[in-house]
Amino acid sequence: MTNAIAGLGFAPDAAMVKFPIDLFLPGSDIAAIEARKQEFYDGLTRWKSDFAKAADGSPMLSVEGVSYEDALAKANHLMIANLWGDGLPIWPATRERTDWILRGTPLPRTHKIGKFPPRGGVTTVETCAVALAMAGGRPEYLPVLLAAVDAFLDPQSGAELLQAASGSAFPVVIVNGPIAKQIRLNSGFGCLGPDPQQPAGASIGRALRLIQQNVGGALPGIGAMANYGGMRYTNVVFAEDEAGLPEGWAPHATARHGFARETNSVSLVFANGATNIRRRGAKKETPEEDATQGMYRMADFMRVPNTPGLAGYEQGSPGVLMIPQVVAQAMAALGWTQQSIREFLWEHSKIPLAQLKRGGVTAWIEIDSNPLTRASLKLDPWPITAKPENIVLIVAGGGHPTNSYWLQGYSPRVTGRRMQVPETFEQLLTEADQDLGCGSDYCRV
Amino acid sequence: MTTIEFHDPSGAIEITQKHAPRIPSLAGKKIGFVSNEQWQAFRTLPLLKQLFEADHPGIQMLPIDAYPQGNALIGAEETAQLVKNSGVDAVIIGNAA
Repeated sequence: MTNAIAGLGFAPDAAMVKFPIDLFLPGSDIAAIEARKQEFYDGLTRWKSDFAKAADGSPMLSVEGVSYEDALAKANHLMIANLWGDGLPIWPATRERTDWILRGTPLPRTHKIGKFPPRGGVTTVETCAVALAMAGGRPEYLPVLLAAVDAFLDPQSGAELLQAASGSAFPVVIVNGPIAKQIRLNSGFGCLGPDPQQPAGASIGRALRLIQQNVGGALPGIGAMANYGGMRYTNVVFAEDEAGLPEGWAPHATARHGFARETNSVSLVFANGATNIRRRGAKKETPEEDATQGMYRMADFMRVPNTPGLAGYEQGSPGVLMIPQVVAQAMAALGWTQQSIREFLWEHSKIPLAQLKRGGVTAWIEIDSNPLTRASLKLDPWPITAKPENIVLIVAGGGHPTNSYWLQGYSPRVTGRRMQVPETFEQLLTEADQDLGCGSDYCRV
Repeated sequence: MTTIEFHDPSGAIEITQKHAPRIPSLAGKKIGFVSNEQWQAFRTLPLLKQLFEADHPGIQMLPIDAYPQGNALIGAEETAQLVKNSGVDAVIIGNAA
């Protein structure tokens, strides 16, 4: 709550009467309210803010140790004690390292991107560079992080709600454009997890999470009420496998955001679930049967009462469906297009209204603020999203036909941003080759 | 000794507006509720209303639903305007995610 207050520009405290969660559960004993009624009266008549002064800028901190290792350990301890860590070792954002990261952008370090909700921490280019330094990132990753943060801070993105809400939303950053391969961002095998040959996604996503927590105030159980908080160590940052797109299929950023092909861009979606779908058949299916059965199975996974997804019913997304390029190519050869796949999935993921009523989902739809969402209750079976185009379909993942992947959506919008790279970007890539070894496809194991 | 100096990563906080001044007493005042109608608000806020009325004769407590309720509505500018137009001296906010 103090985050939300600070985010509105007030001193980050308020007249509050706090109770344990038990009071707010169905059938609870609410006698504690009467016992503490004076606190309510005082809150309206006597309360004063204890917050004396706003913090000015981001001060430098200092630790001393008998050796570098000792000082590094103390720096990490201090960051945990100050609630700035994530439990994994952190690289202190020294001036030198932060300045190195800042080589990845043409923007001045003081350029203000916005205020990170709900706490309202001022977020500058330097703020992002500091987080990327802490997360073990490199300067060539900074354009992706800056674009992702800019998308995150779009007032329409829904981030203000999702940062604090209990539904365990996590950002999914989909990257299009040549920068993905240039910075070693994975679009293939294991693209949602760690990969030493393509390490960019881990530190970009981790940096975004650190900003969410340290600048946005999304501390578990305090500023972020996510029950589980899955996928939050590194969030999800991956590239679309543009080289694997069948002929005639548009990159996601072109289809969804209208960006020209070869534009370096991010697309930000929020999700609250991650599910593998064993898609292929097990016997002697024909290609047509394999495609159709796989499609039905994917639709079955999507046909769930995901009430948080109502936030994006009209203009957001019910989720991100990832299919590997080998599947996309096979389906395209059978005549499937991106749109016909979306339409099939939309049609076959509809939920019978009786099933929605049985689970009380209709109550959530009835109280939704969007009239279009409320009106959807007239439809039986009920579509999980207002239109097929809302389903984000991405070609990504290893070149293997067995599985697809469903990132269940909790996304009021799908927000796109172009990136800016500095004139010296090629030099940064050369330095990355020197530091990390050859990064091209030919060099990969 | 080795020293490591590094940036505070938390970002600055800008204070752009002051909290509302407190009212000197509750006697004879008009108080409203702004609620997102979640988390047992239908039981807790009416109890609070009763307590205020019992302990402060002359106080005017507006009905719980005097203003629009729900997550999407309590933060709306239209709701804030309705609160101002109603002439209340203070509001109690019930809001939780």
